[in-house]
Amino acid sequence: MGQITLKKVRKAFGDVEVIPPLDLQINDGEFVVFVGPSGCGKSTLLRLIAGLEDVSSGEIEIDGRPSAELPPAKRGLAMVFQSYALYPHMSVRKNIAFPMKMAKISQDEQNRRIEAAASALNLTEYLDRKPGQLSGGQRQRVAIGRAIVREPAAFLFDEPLSNLDAALRVGMRLEISELHKRLATTMIYVTHDQIEAMTMADKIVVLRAGRIEQVGAPLELYENPRNIFVAGFIGSPRMNFIEGPEAARHNAHTIGIRPEHIDVSATEGDWQGRIGVAEHLGSDTYFHIHDTGLAETVTVRASGEVTLRHGETVFLTPQAEKIHRFDNEGLKQ
Amino acid sequence: MATTHARAAARLMISPSVILLLGWMLIPLGMTLYFSVLRYNLLMPGDNPFVGIENYQYFLTDPAFTAALINTLALVVGVLAVTIIGGTLLALLLDQPMWATGIWRILVIAPFFVMPTVSALVWKNMFMNPVNGLFAHLFKSLGLAPFDFLAQAPLFSIIWIVSWQWLPFATLILLTAMQSLDREQIEAAEMDGAGALSRFRHITIPHLGRAATVVVLIETIFLLSVFAEILVTTNGGPGNASTNLTYLVYAESLLRFDVGMGSAGGVVAIILANIVAIFLMRAIGKNLDA
Amino acid sequence: MARAVTPQRKALNTAIAALIGALIFFPIFWTVLTSFKTETQAIADPPVWFAFDWTLENYTAVNQRSDYLLHFWNSVVISVGSTLLGLMIAVPAAWAMAFVPGRRTKDILMWMLSTKMLPSVGVLVPIYLLFRQLGLLDTRMGLVIVLTLINLPIIIWMLYTYFREIPGEILEAARMDGASLREEVTHVLLPMAVPGMASTVLLNIILAWNEAFWTLNLTAAKAAPLTAFIASYSSPEGLFYAKLSAASTMAIAPILIMGWFSQKQLVRGLTFGAVK
Ligand SMILES: Nc1ncnc2c1ncn2[C@@H]1O[C@H](COP(=O)(O)OP(=O)(O)O)[C@@H](O)[C@H]1O
Ligand SMILES: [Mg+2]
Repeated sequence: MGQITLKKVRKAFGDVEVIPPLDLQINDGEFVVFVGPSGCGKSTLLRLIAGLEDVSSGEIEIDGRPSAELPPAKRGLAMVFQSYALYPHMSVRKNIAFPMKMAKISQDEQNRRIEAAASALNLTEYLDRKPGQLSGGQRQRVAIGRAIVREPAAFLFDEPLSNLDAALRVGMRLEISELHKRLATTMIYVTHDQIEAMTMADKIVVLRAGRIEQVGAPLELYENPRNIFVAGFIGSPRMNFIEGPEAARHNAHTIGIRPEHIDVSATEGDWQGRIGVAEHLGSDTYFHIHDTGLAETVTVRASGEVTLRHGETVFLTPQAEKIHRFDNEGLKQ
Repeated sequence: MATTHARAAARLMISPSVILLLGWMLIPLGMTLYFSVLRYNLLMPGDNPFVGIENYQYFLTDPAFTAALINTLALVVGVLAVTIIGGTLLALLLDQPMWATGIWRILVIAPFFVMPTVSALVWKNMFMNPVNGLFAHLFKSLGLAPFDFLAQAPLFSIIWIVSWQWLPFATLILLTAMQSLDREQIEAAEMDGAGALSRFRHITIPHLGRAATVVVLIETIFLLSVFAEILVTTNGGPGNASTNLTYLVYAESLLRFDVGMGSAGGVVAIILANIVAIFLMRAIGKNLDA
Repeated sequence: MARAVTPQRKALNTAIAALIGALIFFPIFWTVLTSFKTETQAIADPPVWFAFDWTLENYTAVNQRSDYLLHFWNSVVISVGSTLLGLMIAVPAAWAMAFVPGRRTKDILMWMLSTKMLPSVGVLVPIYLLFRQLGLLDTRMGLVIVLTLINLPIIIWMLYTYFREIPGEILEAARMDGASLREEVTHVLLPMAVPGMASTVLLNIILAWNEAFWTLNLTAAKAAPLTAFIASYSSPEGLFYAKLSAASTMAIAPILIMGWFSQKQLVRGLTFGAVK
């Protein structure tokens, strides 16, 4: 079981309120991603759940039990830290065994679980090495292995991929997703990278300055962002925001349109502009378009290779049903 | 990282140290203050009447105090001058490319590990002794009259001995600081067209400044309390010629058994040391934030 | 700075450094050399360099003075004892300040440092009288207590600077893994801090071994460590150069060796982490 309920959870460091009272329900087996810009309180929230920090007020229930009195180890949660936090003086085997040793699990059972975790994570050959002799990706796996063997009610990940290079990051992302499918255990995953959030989550929690901006499935947030912040944060390249007469024409203070929802043509369209930079990725082409009179730049994403170049004049047509309308407080209308 | 539980544990863990150091500081300090206002001599049994600032008056107006104060200052300033200048030169030298640097560094650092009584006695007997010392032999072979260092230049001799002990400290710290100087910074200055001299002046010296400050302050703390070197060489003499404040207080307390007077002297020594300490704490406190 | 230096330049540097190094080291060298001479050769004029009858008789003589071994042992007990005791008190305090810093942590650290600035002579009288009262004068126990207290701030500071370099996340991981506070410290923190602890221990033994204020003032015959024993050679009747040299060599050799191993840590310890 791994059901976690946050009730009016609030956290202040001294006089600074980092997390205003917040409610959240995390269901058993769910993969929940906390996403938000750096410094918005994601780690703090995770550490409150882990028990590494005390809540200032409110309550965290784990499987229906209040957790205030429970020290971190008694909460049945396992955490994978951003820095991996491996014990540098212990071999991989000892690292993975440590939580079981602390729990006084029998030696046979320890060995069985270590072997299982090692083979699942491709670590069998490295069991006798020290963390210092491993690559970043391998260290990451050891940290995950150490979490798995405890058979926790939920896994907590704090930006686990941010210290890896881009290629490894994609690989590990898949591995963690597969792990979740296999174990079907609750996972709470913190990241500032919306791509990780979109690709991995069952449920995304978007945070800003300690406040929950929106909770929902990835596509729900993509298609139906509640406000400008979420609309701008989810999706890449970022949504275009247009104010002024063009927005007023749609009866809104601001309108938003995603780059992939604008059709581009060399001959005709609603809006006219000049190509600043064109990024040709092969699979897609991104145009950054100036002098539209709408916004500083309008970004457009066209599928495949489009042979328009820097300086050329183009015409843009937003797909009418994909336009998001926001009021003057930034809320979706 | 800090749950109330962890914070409570931390308080518990830190309290033995705090209590011990607090006791170590307050109890003797309070007693010193208390004794300093009593007429209290171990050689004169009877009660110990309260005499107010009498001990301080005697102590501060005693010619020995003026002498000790001057000697203390001369000792501190003399040793500081030798060790800072010598240490900078040695550090510069050892920072140059050469073979077997490690060996030369070890030779230079060695005196720091020699216990004060040994270094004082070795210098006193084997070098400065007017009959059998190496200096006497050297003077004779040059046709000069032997010189009785400890009788004729006692303070200078003690400065010499103490400088020998502390030169390694200054060298080691300045060398460490020099080696932690960012080479890229020097290279950048070189690219900007700074010559060797102006690089030394504008980059090396300011960088060493902090380390030098630390050396000055820490040495001062120790140099104010030089004791063993005086005890085994000159016993503060001849007369008061090599008595410093520490030795004077020791003599009052444990040679003349004048507890009241010794305590008053102790309070004076504490005040003097505190003036230095304030500066030292500022310098170190700044680094704590970095 | 991989720039070529001419071999001539390098040789010149080496020669100057060797010369100065030899000059500074000379008193120690001469002491060691003299310890192998007879008393007559030790004061010979002109001095004899190597062409003398090398002898170990001074070492035998010093060791036969029934008390030498006792004093050596006193030095060992006092320096090691005060270091271990100090470590036991300091580890928890350094843990607390490094990993659970509070608003007052910095003030506490600075205050601890300030106790180190109290000149010993300022509290000589009360300590002497207290020790007399408690029967601690001329006991190893008394010196262990005093040296522990004087060096405690240095130990705490050194450990604190070493502990601070250990990422707190690792200790939090141990906490998540179910380690109790004691297990967290013994299984994770201390093994990781072994190098730092070793240098702390080394520096502290050196400082305690060479301490020459309290050891001289609080001991007479029984508990006197080598600092005080050697001081007894300052009286005229003790004027035997070769034996003094032998006793001195034995007194400084162990610490000289330890000191050479801890040069780098020395800097950090003696400057309270201000210079690394
Ligand atoms: N121990 C602490 N004391 C004071 N402020 C803290 C502490 N930990 C975090 N903060 C503050 O709380 C805010 C949120 O931090 P954090 O949860 O680490 O953000 P994120 O993980 O989203 O980047 C930041 O402004 C940070 O400065
Ligand atoms: Mg974070």
